[in-house]
Amino acid sequence: MDPVFLWVESSAFSVWARESTSVFAFPTFLAGHALGMACVVGINVAVSLRLLGITPGFSGTELKKVFPLFWVGVWLAVISGTILLIAYPTKAFTNPFFYAKLVFVGLGFWQIRMIENKVLGNPDLDIPPSPKWVRFLAVSSMVCWFGVIATGRFLAYTYGRLLVNW
Amino acid sequence: MGELQLWLVETLGSVDAVSTLMRTRWAWPICETLHFFGLCLLFGTVGMFDLRLLGFARGIPIATLHRLVPWGVGGYCLNVLTGSLFLLTEPDQYVFNTAFHLKMLFMSLAGVNVAIFYLKVFREVKPVTAGGELPRLAKVIGGASLFFWVSVMVCGRLLTFYRPYLCDPDPGFLLSCLPYG
Repeated sequence: MDPVFLWVESSAFSVWARESTSVFAFPTFLAGHALGMACVVGINVAVSLRLLGITPGFSGTELKKVFPLFWVGVWLAVISGTILLIAYPTKAFTNPFFYAKLVFVGLGFWQIRMIENKVLGNPDLDIPPSPKWVRFLAVSSMVCWFGVIATGRFLAYTYGRLLVNW
Repeated sequence: MGELQLWLVETLGSVDAVSTLMRTRWAWPICETLHFFGLCLLFGTVGMFDLRLLGFARGIPIATLHRLVPWGVGGYCLNVLTGSLFLLTEPDQYVFNTAFHLKMLFMSLAGVNVAIFYLKVFREVKPVTAGGELPRLAKVIGGASLFFWVSVMVCGRLLTFYRPYLCDPDPGFLLSCLPYG
């Protein structure tokens, strides 16, 4: 895969994203990625706490109204994450933590989509306490997002190669 | 201010037990993971409450949503704890860092904003039920809170970008370089 990584790393955009001293380059993408994460995981926290019965007393439909913010966070994280990947492809693709992060992201999405489509706004599931499988979903989705954060942080400390020629 | 900063670096850096622990193989990334998770807890709970103050999700009564706040406080405490561990381990990387100065400024402003909310508006907004309208001051406080916490997060992420470089002692009000040259 080295020729592919090298091709990406030598592109003008990758060099700019990695080496520019402008605050609007790498620092902005890092900050955007963190902000996206905060929206995605934050909304998931609020939803999970509702499903676990911490904040009963309102319909789950109300939580659906803040889901646009979840999607803003998703796009922010995906776009900034892709740019970070273009800046350092070797660093990510040669580290097992990156693949673990992708697995956690996939599982996290699958679960929050299930919650959004099958649980929130479903009149049969709207009256607390939630059934056991819904509470399990609330906890397991949080575990997955925690996994996303952990693998993302460990990526920065465990890479074996930063760039093809470095 | 420079004298105070130098004293802070010397004092904070003298807690050897913390820096020894933090320099073990996995301590720093584990603490960073907890720091990021604390941030998400804070954002998902206090941020959600702020959105309600701004007029989103009006079907949720204020008192109900306020039950999320202790979780946000928990996230904040987790971040103060892990953040202190970073600071005690590498004090000069924070005390002379412009992004850290701004982060502390926004944290203080967020604190003042919380105090204004509980002293001036909370009693009035707590009984507001589903669909209820909130006073303008509550909306301003909700918007300010979101802005301050997002700024805290962004400044935190910019810390590595503003890592202080070596320089001669700077006579400026607030040192933003390492005065050991």
